Amino acid sequence: MSVMLYGLSTCPYCRMTRKYLEDNDVEFDILEVDLLEGDERAEAIAKVKELSNGTSFPVVVVDDEVIVGFNKKRIKELLSL
Amino acid sequence: MSEAAPVRRRFNPDTTIEDLKAYMAPFVDRLGYKFNTDEEFVDEVLTSELELLESTGDVFCPCRVRTGDPKEDAKIVCPCIPFFRDQFAGLNKCWCGLFILNEVEDGTELLGVIDEPTGPVDVPVFKVADLPDGQIRHVKVGRHDIAVARVADEFFALSNVCRHAFAPLAEGFMDGYQVMCPWHGWRYDVRDGTTDHPGSDVKTYPVSVVDGEIRVRVTIR
Repeated sequence: MSVMLYGLSTCPYCRMTRKYLEDNDVEFDILEVDLLEGDERAEAIAKVKELSNGTSFPVVVVDDEVIVGFNKKRIKELLSL
Repeated sequence: MSEAAPVRRRFNPDTTIEDLKAYMAPFVDRLGYKFNTDEEFVDEVLTSELELLESTGDVFCPCRVRTGDPKEDAKIVCPCIPFFRDQFAGLNKCWCGLFILNEVEDGTELLGVIDEPTGPVDVPVFKVADLPDGQIRHVKVGRHDIAVARVADEFFALSNVCRHAFAPLAEGFMDGYQVMCPWHGWRYDVRDGTTDHPGSDVKTYPVSVVDGEIRVRVTIR
């Protein structure tokens, strides 16, 4: 199972999501989109738009499932925590 | 000469959290919102906004990303409520939770709760005091362009778009229960959207008034 967290360094819910995953010993990758520059940033934004149909964070991707916002209930379900 | 800034710089380098609160509170109240009752969370979000003010020149939402397109980015300057009225009314808060609907007592309970709202939502659009008798005003609610009209103490909402030539009805003239289109004088009854031209009625929306706020019901799909 792969878990990806797209976040912003400025966003409280991204911090909460990160902490929640860490507290539950979930292995995940994280990309803080606002810290990127140039093409990397544009590509990451395009990816988030494609995944979530918007530019709101956090976006958590569990395999093919996309969760927009810090939705503990959905994360819990998908990761069987 | 240095390069022109794409966005006019707002506030001062020494702007504080208290300044932002004082600036935003009366504005969001007119939109039907107040600061979250969780003061610690409010300070956390506003601290992030001050950092963004420092680095970008404006108080962008800390939970949304700037794309570099000035028109798009203008929609995520805090408070961004006018651009997401239907979604936020469905969530009872703005995206990041800095603001909650005036009627919500405990904002802490809403933090992090994101279940995409669907179905009918009553969206606060204006204070009763902001719409005098005999007036009609435009409001954009999600994808809906709506004209909100007042006749004495009754309130009505109908499509803002005239079926004749797409004129904005909210720029028209009220005559009793009718609005006259500003361009060619077509008349619509604000109570049911009917017109004096066959097959050209406009959509209407249910309206309610709660605690001095006019609310329009739209459906989120």
